[in-house]
Amino acid sequence: MSILLNRSTFGALAIVGLALAGCGKLQNDINVPLPAFSSDLVVECYLRPGQVPELAVTTSVPYISSVLPQVPTDVTVTLTMPNGTLVPLAFSPNYRALIDTTTGVKFHSHIGRDPLVARAGDVFKLDVVDTKGRHATATTTMLAPIPIDSVSYQFNDKTGSERKAIFLTSFRDPPALDDCYRLQLHKGSPARGALLKNPEQDMSIEDRLLNGQEFVLGTSYRFYPGDTVTATLYHTERAMFRFRQSVRDARQANGNPFAQPSAIYGNVQGGIGIFGVLSGTTAQKILAK
Amino acid sequence: MIFSSARRYYLLLLILGLGWPQAGWAQPGPRFTISGTVRGGHGETLPGASVAVPALGTGTAADSLGHYSLSLPAGRHQLVIAFIGYQQIVREVNLNKNQRLSLNLEESGNELGEVIVEGSVTLEQKLKTTQMGVEHLSIKEAKLLPALFGEVDILKTLQLKPGVQSGGEGTSGLFVRGGSADQNLVLLDNTVVYNPNHLFGLFSVFNSDAVQSVDLYKSGFPAQFGGRLSSVVDVKLREGNRQHYVATGGVGLISSRLTYEGPINKGKGSFIVSGRRTYFDIFTRALNRANEGKEDYSPIPDYYFYDFNAKANYTLGEKDQVFLTGYLGRDIFGFSSPNGFNFSFQWGNTIGSLRWNHTFSPKLFVNTTVSVSDYKYTLTNQLANVFSFNLGSQITDYTGRTDFEYTPNDRHQIKVGAMLTQHRFGVGRLSASTGDGRLDIGSDVHYYGLDGAVYASDNYKATDKLQLEGGLRLTGFRSGTDQYGGLEPRAAARYALNDKTSFKLNYAMMYQYVHLVTNSGASLPTDIWYPSRLSVKPQQSQQVSGGASFLLGGGKYLLTNELYYKWGRNQVDFRDGAQLFVNPDLDQEFIFGKSWAYGNELYLEKKTGKTTGWIGYTLAWSWRNFQPQNGTNGVNGGRDFHPNYDRRHNLTVVVLHQLNKRINLTASFIYTSGNLTTLPLGRFGVQDIPGSSVGIDPRPVPVYPDRNSYRLIPYHRLDLGVVYKIGARRDQDLTLSIYNAYNRRNAYFVFFDTVRDKASGRTVGFQAKQVSLFPVIPSLTYNFRF
Repeated sequence: MSILLNRSTFGALAIVGLALAGCGKLQNDINVPLPAFSSDLVVECYLRPGQVPELAVTTSVPYISSVLPQVPTDVTVTLTMPNGTLVPLAFSPNYRALIDTTTGVKFHSHIGRDPLVARAGDVFKLDVVDTKGRHATATTTMLAPIPIDSVSYQFNDKTGSERKAIFLTSFRDPPALDDCYRLQLHKGSPARGALLKNPEQDMSIEDRLLNGQEFVLGTSYRFYPGDTVTATLYHTERAMFRFRQSVRDARQANGNPFAQPSAIYGNVQGGIGIFGVLSGTTAQKILAK
Repeated sequence: MIFSSARRYYLLLLILGLGWPQAGWAQPGPRFTISGTVRGGHGETLPGASVAVPALGTGTAADSLGHYSLSLPAGRHQLVIAFIGYQQIVREVNLNKNQRLSLNLEESGNELGEVIVEGSVTLEQKLKTTQMGVEHLSIKEAKLLPALFGEVDILKTLQLKPGVQSGGEGTSGLFVRGGSADQNLVLLDNTVVYNPNHLFGLFSVFNSDAVQSVDLYKSGFPAQFGGRLSSVVDVKLREGNRQHYVATGGVGLISSRLTYEGPINKGKGSFIVSGRRTYFDIFTRALNRANEGKEDYSPIPDYYFYDFNAKANYTLGEKDQVFLTGYLGRDIFGFSSPNGFNFSFQWGNTIGSLRWNHTFSPKLFVNTTVSVSDYKYTLTNQLANVFSFNLGSQITDYTGRTDFEYTPNDRHQIKVGAMLTQHRFGVGRLSASTGDGRLDIGSDVHYYGLDGAVYASDNYKATDKLQLEGGLRLTGFRSGTDQYGGLEPRAAARYALNDKTSFKLNYAMMYQYVHLVTNSGASLPTDIWYPSRLSVKPQQSQQVSGGASFLLGGGKYLLTNELYYKWGRNQVDFRDGAQLFVNPDLDQEFIFGKSWAYGNELYLEKKTGKTTGWIGYTLAWSWRNFQPQNGTNGVNGGRDFHPNYDRRHNLTVVVLHQLNKRINLTASFIYTSGNLTTLPLGRFGVQDIPGSSVGIDPRPVPVYPDRNSYRLIPYHRLDLGVVYKIGARRDQDLTLSIYNAYNRRNAYFVFFDTVRDKASGRTVGFQAKQVSLFPVIPSLTYNFRF
């Protein structure tokens, strides 16, 4: 909704801008003196059942400073399992992922040893501390995965390269209020790493208006005959939903005079970031040729 | 709780003049009242026209409806009726009973009446009135001033007055003495206008051809006004020519206007209809057609707005007159993508009112008005016949009000009245469906509100030097089971040291029961009006102001200095990430705080002669404080902060010069402190979950410090204008406007851009950039009259 609004707002301004074409440059480089900035620990950790736990710890930096993320080397990370076991995550950064961001492999600064065992309702805790006294903690609960009821597609009535399909994903929201979801649609063969690439569609939704009802989420006409489409539906905590929303709002406010700057809302105390368990289900469809 | 102070306010009211004993000022001999309406040559009423009896040193000014009433001793008197821009007339009357006398003044300029450039209220009247913090703007004045794209805009002209700030470059939002844009009561012929803007605030909804005058009250609010905290913008439409059928219009850079007016039933009434439409869409469609089929073709969305005004009046008899007003305006925006996606966005106001004016006697008359005001927006998204999503919001008011004005003698002018409004707040309306019927949902969150008020006021001339005005407004609001109410005392005093110097003081309390839900730095059409209910309490403000006025240069100049202090509570804001659309628990998204503002406004004006204009300088501070609450840190952790429109300095210079009978030259210059904004101090990276945000360098996430902690560069701009009369009767003109004549790059906003390596596309740094909206913009408008 807000994206549409911003689009229309800028569209309208673009129309005004047309009238001004040729009147000179309206965007100029300037120097902005910024006051001192106090950096925080930034923690990003998405636990996945069956996968070795890993997380990225970086720090926030002054806006005008080195481009690459600052990775502190003096950070100790401990993951507390549902049964109370403390699992240290070793500092073992894969720096290459910071430089080559096109492979889909995510950067981690710390990593565990054993695959994670997690069930719905399990509670995990995270403790991140550095030698400067910065201390970040977070807690997350694994939610029950929500099955995808169906995936389907529908072609338009055009031919040749114009023949495209929409893709529909449906699932049913549980009766309890306050469920949040993230749906990703990836195109291509999962065996060839398609699920690590950028998704064709990536949306976060909540059940505020459709509590307990069937969700049908669609796309525009963007899939071609023969495409393999994989839908991944994550059932997320509200903290993850709100973190993504606040990241989007903060980004939009930089460069959009109509947007209100937003603070970042995560579930990491003493720092910035998000800690969650990805509780997902998938469904796949190959579009007829 | 609010009512507990009623006794105190009643005493205050007594002290300030209501119910003041009259015996001490009884005049010897019988007195009679002369009353009537002052009209212009075409039959239009002339609010503010002066009706004076020089021999007695007394007089009055016509009210906002053009009515005057004067109590005089029996006998012969010479009345002098004057109104700037019109020829003064003198009438002999022999008063031996109460008498009605309606007066018609001829314009002193040419047919268009635009050579005489002054405002309508004389400087002497401004000196003498108890009212302070008020600006009267005649449309003649506004039409001469240079305008953006040549579009005359009365709200933007008001921004040139002291104490009034604009929201940003080119926008018509008003921020008055530290108040926000939604705290202005905007009235069109006594009916509330909920969104006074077209095109996201770049133009106001008021078509200058249909408007007669505008009064802006910044303080000392008369008791008949209420419902908003910060200001009253009282717009009156023209009534139409009572003698001739006349067509006027204009062809401009972005829009054209056409107005038709004339008499009804041989001058028993008159009508005016006026329309305006922009033609952005005609240009953009042509561009789209030219570019269609090209690689990377991306159609430019369609946008246009139109508005339509109509007003008619009819004299039913000697004592009765009816007025009918209508307004319809729409902004229409839409695009269709090659992917089959259609988007449509429409918004606008619909307004109608019927006023009945009845004169009981020369001393007493009443206006009774029924009106409807509706504002709505509708967003429609449709993907072929597969999926549709509609979103909308609407507020609809039905209002009845009656206003009595009683002038028992030349010392008292009493106004009493009552009003009742039923609101329907359509906070969010949503529907979504798929073509196969698997999804078909609808949601309509709406509330009702009942808003009532009664008021009384007395403008009391205690002595020739001292004039007092006291008023009391009792207001109440109900939404569901939630009820609120309050007493709003209003008081003003003027002491005239001599004919050329006066001192004024006033106080006003205001309540606001409806609130604008906006999470944006600007006014957007999707902003929602929300009633006081549950945790959302009425906003309240109080203001004291004082000042001195000096008539200088033999009455040619008026120098006014006003100081003000305004404070408010229950001011509203929203928590970060608030869900403002179709939220049945919207009250949970509000946070509440307090505000205060203070400043000094210096104003020098000249209204007569070939060169007229004004210089205004305002030194002002605005503050807000929102403590941690409702699971949030408040704003800035509860520390005091400035709203983004806080501007320390504001200088405006406006000059209008009549070079000869055919040419008028105008210039306006504005210098203000820059807007406040929030710039990110830091940044961090977010990788997101596996299978997302893959690519070259994801965008950094900004970390924002305290809100509004960075001030943009000072804003200054010079606009120039020339009005050249053409035709034998000088009834046509070419108006040249040059907006931003020296092409100043004022800052619209600043952001941090990512600098990328051209070859690899990788981020190599960050750079602050300043974006300006309008360079120098010349425009030519042709205006005609047949």
